[in-house]
Amino acid sequence: METTTAAFYIGPFGITSIVITTWGIMLGLGVFCWLATRNLSLEPGPMQTLLEGIVSASEAAIQSVLPEHARELLPFITTLWIYLVIANLTGLIPLLHSPTGNLSVTAGLALLVFLSVHWFGIYHNGIRHYLKHYLSPTPLLLPFHLISEATRTIALAVRLFGNIMSLELVALLVLIVAGLLVPIPLLMLHIVEALVQAYIFGMLALIYVAGAMQSQYSKKENNNE
Amino acid sequence: MDFDWTTFTLEIINFLILIWILKRFLYQPVLNIIDKRRADIDQAMADARRIEAEAVSLKKQNEQYLVEWENQKEAAHAQLSAELAEIRKKKLAELNQKFDDESDRRRILEERRRIEYEKKIEEKAIAQGTKFVSKLLSRLATPELETHLFALLLEDLANIDEADKHVISEATADHATSILVQSAFPLTDTQKQTLSRVLCEQCQTELSIDFQCNETLLAGFQITVGPWVLHANLRDELKFFSQPLQHEK
Repeated sequence: METTTAAFYIGPFGITSIVITTWGIMLGLGVFCWLATRNLSLEPGPMQTLLEGIVSASEAAIQSVLPEHARELLPFITTLWIYLVIANLTGLIPLLHSPTGNLSVTAGLALLVFLSVHWFGIYHNGIRHYLKHYLSPTPLLLPFHLISEATRTIALAVRLFGNIMSLELVALLVLIVAGLLVPIPLLMLHIVEALVQAYIFGMLALIYVAGAMQSQYSKKENNNE
Repeated sequence: MDFDWTTFTLEIINFLILIWILKRFLYQPVLNIIDKRRADIDQAMADARRIEAEAVSLKKQNEQYLVEWENQKEAAHAQLSAELAEIRKKKLAELNQKFDDESDRRRILEERRRIEYEKKIEEKAIAQGTKFVSKLLSRLATPELETHLFALLLEDLANIDEADKHVISEATADHATSILVQSAFPLTDTQKQTLSRVLCEQCQTELSIDFQCNETLLAGFQITVGPWVLHANLRDELKFFSQPLQHEK
């Protein structure tokens, strides 16, 4: 696992293959989306139908959790799902590794989720009301809230990293021990696991953000009553 | 499990850039087209609802028109029935009048025919009766009856009224007029002399008298003095008898 070895340097910053893979994913997605959405029409073709299906399904999933803020959260959550699916499946391509098999990547994504939770919470509730929910129902629970925030972010990062890294590692070990075609069933498992982990990561992020946005709703409703 | 801060930082930046890329090239175009399609669908639904409302309104209007038309039809039908009944009544009255007129005409015609028929029958009966009586009298006409009629003739001549006498005297004034005496049976000389004497007394002059025998008289005599004629025979009596009967009809 030489994913943290710098491929080249830009000044003092060493650019790893993981970053390059991420750039490749970004470039591919950007070009694909640009090409696919150039000529959208009211009567969609197969590709437009696929894109509309992906976006609509994502919007429906977010609406099921946050009906009033689906469009607001759609870019962040859907990008998480799309990026994680592609990043998780990149490991199936020979000579490439899944970016999500690196703790730096999953930690970065988990930090973004952590920041977005507070951003959306403060944006919708105001900083005072948002921070007040750490003191409810009693200020004695503040340490537990803080620990919960930290641990769930760490768990988010480690869960994804551990699953993807372990899948690649097991596949590598089986390949070394048993031969060329033996890890194929394991690669099938990799596909399922990649999809499941992407869904879990995105759904957990959605739930955390929704929790932050709705943390004061019940209190507001009580105040209004 | 190495942790690289550069990768960590670049991953955060990369992900934020990826969010922008996808938002710019995927979410916005696709959501815009979805929204546009939804707007079109909503517009189509609104149009469909409006058209449906218009259709319902038109349907109600049409039903109202049908009800009004049905009422008008029933009113027109009732009016037509009344007019037809009136026309039928009028035509029936005219027909009854025509029938009565025709019945009267036929009745009058029939009455006239019946009268004419009865008249013909009566005339025929009278003719047959006259014929029968004349035939009967011809068998009863004997010299004895002639003798008896001769006595009646003399009696009638003796009782001639003044008007007849005046006619006879005017007819015999020029002495050229002869007296014609017709009888059914030949007269005896005595009868001829008696009759001549009575006639001369009535005419108060001497005239020639011509005695002829005429069987068509059946019995009796016919005396002709110029325009004056004395009928004293059964034939003329029967004729006189039948003429009044016919005139009575």
